[in-house]
Amino acid sequence: VTSRFDATTTTTCGYCGVGCRLEAHRADGRIASISPAMDGPANKGHTCVKGRFAHQFSRSRDRLTAPLVRESGGFRLASWDEAIGRIADAFGRIKAEHGPDAIAGLASSRATNEDCYVMQRMMRAAIGTHNIDNCSRVCHSPTSWALRKSFGMSGATGSFDDIEAAQVALLIGVNPTQGHPVVGARIKQAAIKGLKLVTADPRRIELADYGEVHLGMRPGTNAALLNGLAHVVIRDGLVDERFVAERTEGYDALAELVAAYTPEAVEEITTVPAADLVAAAHLYASAERACILWGLGVTEHRYGSECVRLICNLALLTGNVGRPGSALLPLRGQNNVQGSSDHGALPDTFTDYRHVSDESVASAFEERWGVTMKREAGMKIPEMFDAAVGGSLKAMYIFGEDVAQTDPNTEHVVHALESLDFLVCQDIFENETTKYADVILPASSFLEKTGTFTNAERRVQLVEAANDPPGSAKTDFEILTTVSRALGHEMGYETPSDVMDEIAELTPRYAGIRHERLGRGGLQWPVAPDGTDTPILYEREFELPGGRGQFAPLPYKPPGDAADEEFPLILVTGRRLEHYNAGTMTRRTGNLTLMSADWLEVHPDDAAALGLTEGETVTLRSRRGQVKLPVQITGRIEPGHVFTAFHFPEVRTNLLIGPSADVNTSCPEYKVVAVAIEPAGDRISEPLAAEPAVSA
Amino acid sequence: VRVEIDGQPVDVEPGTTILEAAQSAGRYVPTLCFDERMAPFGACRVCMVGAEGAAAPLAACTTPCREDMRVDTTDETSRRIAAATVELVLSELPEPPGEHTELAAVARHFGIDEPRWQGERRRPAHDRRHPYLALQHELCISCGRCVRACDEVQGAFALTATGRGFHSGITAGLDSGFVDSTCVSCGACADTCPTDAITEHTLLDMASAYTGNGGTT
Repeated sequence: VTSRFDATTTTTCGYCGVGCRLEAHRADGRIASISPAMDGPANKGHTCVKGRFAHQFSRSRDRLTAPLVRESGGFRLASWDEAIGRIADAFGRIKAEHGPDAIAGLASSRATNEDCYVMQRMMRAAIGTHNIDNCSRVCHSPTSWALRKSFGMSGATGSFDDIEAAQVALLIGVNPTQGHPVVGARIKQAAIKGLKLVTADPRRIELADYGEVHLGMRPGTNAALLNGLAHVVIRDGLVDERFVAERTEGYDALAELVAAYTPEAVEEITTVPAADLVAAAHLYASAERACILWGLGVTEHRYGSECVRLICNLALLTGNVGRPGSALLPLRGQNNVQGSSDHGALPDTFTDYRHVSDESVASAFEERWGVTMKREAGMKIPEMFDAAVGGSLKAMYIFGEDVAQTDPNTEHVVHALESLDFLVCQDIFENETTKYADVILPASSFLEKTGTFTNAERRVQLVEAANDPPGSAKTDFEILTTVSRALGHEMGYETPSDVMDEIAELTPRYAGIRHERLGRGGLQWPVAPDGTDTPILYEREFELPGGRGQFAPLPYKPPGDAADEEFPLILVTGRRLEHYNAGTMTRRTGNLTLMSADWLEVHPDDAAALGLTEGETVTLRSRRGQVKLPVQITGRIEPGHVFTAFHFPEVRTNLLIGPSADVNTSCPEYKVVAVAIEPAGDRISEPLAAEPAVSA
Repeated sequence: VRVEIDGQPVDVEPGTTILEAAQSAGRYVPTLCFDERMAPFGACRVCMVGAEGAAAPLAACTTPCREDMRVDTTDETSRRIAAATVELVLSELPEPPGEHTELAAVARHFGIDEPRWQGERRRPAHDRRHPYLALQHELCISCGRCVRACDEVQGAFALTATGRGFHSGITAGLDSGFVDSTCVSCGACADTCPTDAITEHTLLDMASAYTGNGGTT
């Protein structure tokens, strides 16, 4: 083989939760190119504009390459010893004065399973608090909660391969061709080859053009829509009677509840034409094999967790779970949303969602770590910010998360960060949150570390370092174990592989997971001690008492915000193809050329009523705050609604989002915000002229 | 279905192509327009093999195996035809393909160095408008892989084959370049291209840093 590269490392993509396997090619000490691994189970030789191209951020000039400590209003460079010494002193003092629960930590769904496990161990064992959470709180915590209640385990019931095996796929509140491009491409290709799609979203997403029926419901009315689908399935005799009788519980209560959700009643609430709802229900329930995929359009609502249970109802009614081609596939936003929560970076659970009050579990961890722990759960992210403002939380350790940019109710978050006595940020760049730090530790990107990510199919895949961290930056594993040591708790690991060995030892469902067993294709948990994994969950029974799936009779309730005279439009926020969340990585790559600024999508009718023109800059105002951005007029959004993303600190969309959150999991209601548009009086500049087309 | 590849018996599913059977038997058959991610295309005529009783060499990538078929991947006639095809392809290029490319590997397989034909060569025509993707039209051999990757792997339908004969090539959008087309910048075209007619700027820059002339723009 004639190679241009010095080395090629097979690793797992650090952007979204699809989990593409990548070949990272290195030349002259930097990543020269990335190509897809032909044998990647999720990506099968394909990847997207982020995974393939957006890697220059890792060698960006403004990477953090040395620790920074606060001094007289600014930051100065410091040695690792000084920076970690400051952390140990401050945490020691605060713990002595206010107790361990005055300290809280955030792990990151961008980090590896091993990093997240080490982080929660540091908080629990070195500091002595269950105040540990991670950013899945603000995206798929409702999914996790609901899947555990309905089926027993917190993860997709099948694999992406079930998409091609299905006859029908129902997509709710998810836009895969933008947010999860490789799965989006797989769905589109399957649709071209005959997979029938039903799409449900306030926006007419691209895949709607390849589908049979599109349901454009009003934001915040998912529950009415889902109960309406269940109504039609029952009314028209499409229930899998045998499955319901043998494998479920609670059917009668559900049937009684959804009796009122006639297509006509649902049309009143959702604006979805009754005939479309009936057609969608028939498509889904008549198929022998049907999948449901959903995203944050389901979860980031006041009743998001309940809506995930209503999704599970549909699968239970029709027996579309636990078989090839019949999977429930929540599309996870970040590369390791699944794994960070699986591995105990949550205030109420150890690994595999086992509660901190579970005596046998807690004592096993206590014995292993040589500490004693409380049996009461710690604080969730929003509670941490409230406690900081209230004065009972004194210090935070935030690892790989820019809460001041991405969390809702931004003003409150900033107030919380300002109220802390001591803040540690561990990240690869300075960001909105590090502005409030006392110590900033320079960490490593996914291209510079070793460990595992767990993708949206529960697939634990290897991450291998393709390059070294820049300057004196260190891997997160090294930083966290060193800080823990300085806090007086020696973890005793030499490598991330040792961490996984401990996880497997203490977690029956992960018992067979070993780095050396993961190979090129990874393993889908549960993994038996002999290494046998589980592509399909619940083939014979659900992981609940009696082995039965649980129907949830939950009614529609209005969202936390509603349009009124002052704020007549509903804002929905989401992701765009070229960028990724806070944009920390993608805004430092050529993706910025592909999309250099955000815009507000407005329906032509609303634009006409407000007298808006394409490209005009407007002020978007909510009950919480206001931002400025240019308008794009598009028929892809329903009248009465507007849409924008949250990738640009210049816009800071999350200033608009209030404190409304999911009733069970505190996941913020990013998807329903009443807003008003006012002309800002200035026009966006003309796009730059393209370079000459062809040079010879 | 049982077939024999170079004397070695192989059992394959009905519908398996000769190319797939040969690969499962561990035999190398050179290809240019083939990519396992896409449906077989049969355009390049480089995967030609001999089969007992067949009147002429067969394209291995598109010919399904038949019961008791005896395939010779080293058949001299097939090799001659395929080698001539590759030599003709090379004769149109302004310079030899990069050593790392599939085209260069196939040329090495056939032992082709400098093509015997010294006719008209394509003139360099580069498009570097996209932040990542670089088009070098003169290196396009019309294998159709990029167009099919765009359609069959991604589904963006941004690339089209254009022109005829010596002037054939590909274009993004209606000649508007990648950025103004329906391109989603997934890079599947660059990934599959066997000649670097579509590649990445960073890789071209890397090549020019070594040789001092990779950037012919």
